[in-house]
Amino acid sequence: MAATNVLEDASAVLLRLAFHGVTHATGVPCSYLKGLFALLETGHESGIRYVRAPREDTALGLASGIAVGGGFPVVLMQNSGLGYSLNVLTSFNLIYDVPLLVVVSWRGEPGTGDAVEHDVIGAKLPDLLTLFDLPHEVFDKADAAGCVDRCVKLMSTTGRPAFLIVRGGL
Amino acid sequence: MLTSETVMRHVLTALPNACVVSTCGYPSRELYNSMDRPGNLYLLGSMGMAAPVAYGIAAARPGRPVVAIDGDGSIAMNLGCLALAAELALPVVHLVLDNGMHQSTGGQSTVLPNDLAAVASGAGYPEVVTVRSPSDLAAVDGLGGRTTPLFIHAIVAARTAAAGHRIRQRPQELVGRVRAFLDDSAPESLMR
Repeated sequence: MAATNVLEDASAVLLRLAFHGVTHATGVPCSYLKGLFALLETGHESGIRYVRAPREDTALGLASGIAVGGGFPVVLMQNSGLGYSLNVLTSFNLIYDVPLLVVVSWRGEPGTGDAVEHDVIGAKLPDLLTLFDLPHEVFDKADAAGCVDRCVKLMSTTGRPAFLIVRGGL
Repeated sequence: MLTSETVMRHVLTALPNACVVSTCGYPSRELYNSMDRPGNLYLLGSMGMAAPVAYGIAAARPGRPVVAIDGDGSIAMNLGCLALAAELALPVVHLVLDNGMHQSTGGQSTVLPNDLAAVASGAGYPEVVTVRSPSDLAAVDGLGGRTTPLFIHAIVAARTAAAGHRIRQRPQELVGRVRAFLDDSAPESLMR
């Protein structure tokens, strides 16, 4: 039953992304995002095309090319991939003014008792995004569409990559 | 021995309406100083991202030829991106200008697979060409109209001339003009 709810939430997010014009999704899987990946891998009614990427920075590069080419990509990643991603964010997206939408999981959120390898990045995730002036919104499944709407608006109004932070499963 | 400029000019002549994404450092500066055109997107940083960006543009613009220009240092940094050839199967020409060194940072040697062509082939490039001399360039003459990825490993001499000017356009201007180039219905008209 829990899995069904995750897929329903994930489907709502993908449909809302498609409503805003998202054409492609790319990224590297996280267990916190497995509903999104499950739907994307099998082909979802949103019509969003999924492109697999080997690493998070390459996913951002790919998404950046899609955005330059006139598509509207979304990138999905675990927060462990943010370290790899910083170079592309700082030396491409933030200087060429090519904003992206990023869905990032919050592994290692303080108090959740997650695996130790996520502790350090998890404790600093919002701070890290704030440090680089990267706007972000924490996902609330009770208001899935509203969260997507606000994240898209953050991206368009700031012109900067905007992050939807996912705690728990989606 | 081939020069990197000769190889780049040959590929651009064969694909006049291609969008070109070039890696940071000397490859972008050389392309900018000798062959600047609206379809060129120079990466100023993000080493290793020329091919991912090129594949992204190709994914957003089906049918449009796209060229990724890497050096041996930048492809060594992101061999994982070679798998995008099989993942996307789009008409991207992935050119690696291999002079055996990180010339932009002073000529330090690079660490590269012994057989880069075999790595590209194994990663999913259906066609891989190695060019070492002017006569080899005939192998890349028929680039127009291709529908599948091509990997070109070009063994080139170290650059002897100065790198030339730094790229003058602001990054945002580079994006603006490449978008206009992609939107133009007759991209050839923007050449030269």
